[in-house]
Amino acid sequence: MARLRDDWEHSPWRNFLRWLREGDDALDRAMIASLDAPAPELREETAPEAPALPAEEPLSEKRRRRLRAIYIALSVLLCVGIIGVLVRTAGSLPSFGGAENPANNEVSRRYIEQGLQETGAVNLVAGMILDYRAFDTLGESNVLFAAACAVMLLLRALGWREGGTELPGHEPHSDIILQKISMVLVPLILLYGMYVILNGHLSPGGGFSGGAVMGAGLILCANAFGIEVTRRFFTFRTFQLVSLFALSFYALSKAYSFFTGANGLHSFITAGTPGRIFSAGLIPYLNLAVGLVVCCTMYGLYGVFRRGDV
Amino acid sequence: MEWFRFALSAALTLFGLFVLVSAVLGVFRFRYALSRIHAAALVDTLGILTMLCGLMVAQGFSDATWKMLAVVGFLWLTSPVASHLIGRLEVTVNDDLAEDMAVADPALVREEKESED
Repeated sequence: MARLRDDWEHSPWRNFLRWLREGDDALDRAMIASLDAPAPELREETAPEAPALPAEEPLSEKRRRRLRAIYIALSVLLCVGIIGVLVRTAGSLPSFGGAENPANNEVSRRYIEQGLQETGAVNLVAGMILDYRAFDTLGESNVLFAAACAVMLLLRALGWREGGTELPGHEPHSDIILQKISMVLVPLILLYGMYVILNGHLSPGGGFSGGAVMGAGLILCANAFGIEVTRRFFTFRTFQLVSLFALSFYALSKAYSFFTGANGLHSFITAGTPGRIFSAGLIPYLNLAVGLVVCCTMYGLYGVFRRGDV
Repeated sequence: MEWFRFALSAALTLFGLFVLVSAVLGVFRFRYALSRIHAAALVDTLGILTMLCGLMVAQGFSDATWKMLAVVGFLWLTSPVASHLIGRLEVTVNDDLAEDMAVADPALVREEKESED
């Protein structure tokens, strides 16, 4: 019981309560204090109770070898077991391309036969993920956004807040060869990313792939010219605003089309002429929203992992 | 004419494959980072060029030819720069560089290390 009380001062629960009452700064101070003074009296108090435990003997050579053999045998057994299960499962899978496979049902038939008329997207995959199954894609974008939020919560440096002037972290000095090449490549990469996003309903590609390309372009730019250059147009504020507006636009516009579609109401969103750049209803705009979120998240993750801030 | 095109594309592709295989061999058999970069970077520019030339010849002249040329240009721009950066990092962080290989000008290496600090 004495131990419990001693540990209470450093327990996570106590820290949490203190954080609730007094906020971040008090917690930081307490943590720094506990790091400076590593509670020596705690060990002294608990020491008299300790002799009940036998002192740990170093393992003898024979015993260690036996443990090692058991470890190897168990790991081989485990691997063989997993391989057996997987091989058995693979053996009972339906044959590739068979007409009776569960994947060949009325859902995929409908996607293929009527997808072009119903969604207006020449790229049937875009029609599937952004029209028939748009709810799913919204969830995926949100998962990415939530992951970025979690990483930023954990990694954004404590000392660096909005309005600070000094960037934390080590900035390697830039390389002249990288800079010259980046001058040529960064605009091309960004342009290509935009092309992939905006043509997502006409050709292979879409929000996720195009956003990843654009994010890579931004990362290259930050690497070559230093963070001050990208901070001119991309700060944490930009990340927040773009993610907020893109995700809310997605959610609201799809809510509208789900509502009208489910209730048989007239919707002003039409499929248009397939093949035109402004066609396929909401799909180009949803692609743009997803692409922006992916691009900002990629670049933001890179920033927090490298420096602790975007 | 048809068999000549096939033979040309096959020869180019096989030569590209040979180059790439020797690059893989070098990456796994050389002992030091800088020698591995040499194998990987110098050879994969040539290997990719010949492989894609083989594909261009096999495909015939079309829109895809320009795209493949763009791919070659992109890889020729990026791959050497990436190797250059890796090599530079190796020189910066490896303190035993002179033990691993002959260093022509130790003053340059020292300068590079100091400029990075």
